[in-house]
Amino acid sequence: MISVQNVYKQYGRTVALDGLSFEVEKGTTFGLLGPNGAGKTTLIGCLGGLLVPDRGTLSIQGRSDPSQIEVRRCLGVVPQFIALYEELTALQNLRLFARLHGLGGKALVQRVEACLEIALLTERAKDRVSEFSGGMKRRLNLACSLLHDPMVLLLDEPTVGVDPQSRNLIFESIERMKQEGKTLIYTTHYMEEAQRLCDHVAIMDAGKILADGTVPELIEQHGGSARIEARLHGDEDLIGPISRCLENNPTIHIEDRLLGFETRRPMADLTALYQAGIQLDSLTMESTNLEDVFLNLTGKKLRDS
Amino acid sequence: MKRIFHLAMKDIAVLMADKGNLFWVFGFPIVYALFFGAIFSGSQEGPSSMTLGIVDEDGSALSRQFVEELDSRETLEVVSFSREEALARVRKGTLSSALFLKPGFGDGLGGLFSGDRNIEMASDPARAMESGFLQGLIVQSLFEVVYKQFTDMDTIRSNLDLWREEIRNDVGSTLNTTIFLGFVDALQLMLEDVELDSADSALSGFNLSIPTVEVAGENKGPENSFQITFPQAMLWGILGCAATFAVSLVRERTVGTMLRLRICPISQAHILAGKGFACFITCLFVIVMLFLGGKFFFHVPINSVPLFFLAAVSITLCFVGIMMMVSTLGRTEQSVGGAGWAIMMVMSMIGGGMVPLVFMPEWLHPFSYASPVRWGIYALEGGIWRGFGFAEMLMPCGILLAIGAVCFVFGLWLMKRFHSVG
Ligand SMILES: Nc1ncnc2c1ncn2[C@@H]1O[C@H](COP(=O)(O)OP(=O)(O)OP(=O)(O)O)[C@@H](O)[C@H]1O
Ligand SMILES: [Mg+2]
Repeated sequence: MISVQNVYKQYGRTVALDGLSFEVEKGTTFGLLGPNGAGKTTLIGCLGGLLVPDRGTLSIQGRSDPSQIEVRRCLGVVPQFIALYEELTALQNLRLFARLHGLGGKALVQRVEACLEIALLTERAKDRVSEFSGGMKRRLNLACSLLHDPMVLLLDEPTVGVDPQSRNLIFESIERMKQEGKTLIYTTHYMEEAQRLCDHVAIMDAGKILADGTVPELIEQHGGSARIEARLHGDEDLIGPISRCLENNPTIHIEDRLLGFETRRPMADLTALYQAGIQLDSLTMESTNLEDVFLNLTGKKLRDS
Repeated sequence: MKRIFHLAMKDIAVLMADKGNLFWVFGFPIVYALFFGAIFSGSQEGPSSMTLGIVDEDGSALSRQFVEELDSRETLEVVSFSREEALARVRKGTLSSALFLKPGFGDGLGGLFSGDRNIEMASDPARAMESGFLQGLIVQSLFEVVYKQFTDMDTIRSNLDLWREEIRNDVGSTLNTTIFLGFVDALQLMLEDVELDSADSALSGFNLSIPTVEVAGENKGPENSFQITFPQAMLWGILGCAATFAVSLVRERTVGTMLRLRICPISQAHILAGKGFACFITCLFVIVMLFLGGKFFFHVPINSVPLFFLAAVSITLCFVGIMMMVSTLGRTEQSVGGAGWAIMMVMSMIGGGMVPLVFMPEWLHPFSYASPVRWGIYALEGGIWRGFGFAEMLMPCGILLAIGAVCFVFGLWLMKRFHSVG
């Protein structure tokens, strides 16, 4: 569906993309997770036909040049920076881009209305964009890319600077598109977003993909161990059975009926304890996430904060 | 084609949303046309008259005749002062030039070529153009007076008597005295043979007042000062439009909307054509508005409406090309806006849009042929009052279209080369 092979792009001396390769299956959502300057926007630019890679090949739906008009018809791009005519109203913006996508008549009216609903801006349709809040502009920025109902959608940090409500709204529209079988590429530096939305995630830094896979795969391979603490029920000595259940995990520690251990397979271990009839009064688990994956891969945090 | 139209409509809607733009594009040209039209309509003969200070210390019949001659000129107003006052005024700048006729001016006038003319002029160095023009008028008047003297036999005869007297009084050079007296006698004899009429006609070839030949068409030149100011106002309107659209094209890039346009299924040529079309429509609208205002409110006579519109369309296309080129000359609105205005200013400077060409240094004149402002005004005037035919319009319009095409192609090249990234 989308394939990127050995793509390389340089700005002067800065290497923005350093030999990237990956594939995105039809109907799946592919997340690009990386810190500032990782090269996410550059990659989206290349896929959207706005930039030409210095080396390597791209293909979208079997076509190698994304700037071809046939590709553009089925491709939507949500730019990282708000790209709207501030002097015009939301409605005027939507109508213009719908017309430029070749819509007209009833289809135009329907799509414009649908997109206004997606952006929750039906009430504010006739207000100028310059009068909108940042979150409203974000929502409209997304809506303007959905007018032609593209089969492939490239989203470049579509949730920057929006409140949790708008963010949820954006997530919902993305999830709806997933259900409709659209193929999505989603860039972000929020791991929760990638974890929630993406089937596949690639971790990017300095123009390279450091690791990719499904979220559980990445966590299992690069996330390190989860820490589990539990209060044991009853007062018999359980050291033997527990060790057996947890395959002699060397991190097991029991003191005052409190059991603690670290594991890379927390669910499997807990199931084993349960099946061995070991009862727990309470349980806390510090699970690993993509943030840990990133930290382990690069030695730095995704975001400064 | 439809998409170009939609793009253009968008640009016009964006333009309309900004009150500041609206003024520069639509308001300013109207104000310009009305303001200058009204100012010039007071003196339909041309530029306002200049004042020349006169200090007549001679007070002879000839000096008075000379001052009268100067005063009779339409463009000149002569005011008498004392020497001190005249100098003070020139120094302060309230008078551009003062002319001093020293004692003996009247006697010396006959010997105009002897070098001792008893005439002096003081000029304000800051108004060199004006004093240069005045000097021309003064010399012309001097010739006029001398010419009258030479065609008047009585004056000549009395001059000869005067010379004879002077030669006789000049003791010491006896040989020379007889030779000179003989020469004067011979001159007198010759002049007595000459018939007065033929002397007059022989000298009349030197008449310095230049007869004017009718050059304008049926309209006999601009009848109405608005005929001059409206074409200029139209040019200003178009300059304003072109600058505004050049900036708006850059703005698309800096704001990011260019990126969004480029991901739409349209080509870069569509985007540029849309911008050009919007600029074209707006310019034409300005022209039509000024045309209608001029025709119905100020009764500006228009010689040929079709030729006028031929000129208008050519100018507009020319400036669409220039707009495209200017928009590629910078990366920010400020730099393009600055470059735009600078280029437009220079074009209208060297094209005579602001200061008449004669006031420019000589070496600049050939450059004016490269200024579309010059050709634009020329073409509009051709349709309004110069009474051009279609064939005569072809040159200015062709030049305008050529300039526009060259700029367009160059701009396109620059854009492909340097601005292909949204
Ligand atoms: N137009 C440009 N000119 C020069 N260098 C650029 C340009 N655009 C991007 N870069 C450089 O390329 C690298 C990748 O930038 P890019 O915008 O793709 O990062 P990103 O992952 O999108 O970052 P962010 O999360 O901050 O949006 C950076 O080092 C950046 O400085
Ligand atoms: Mg980015």
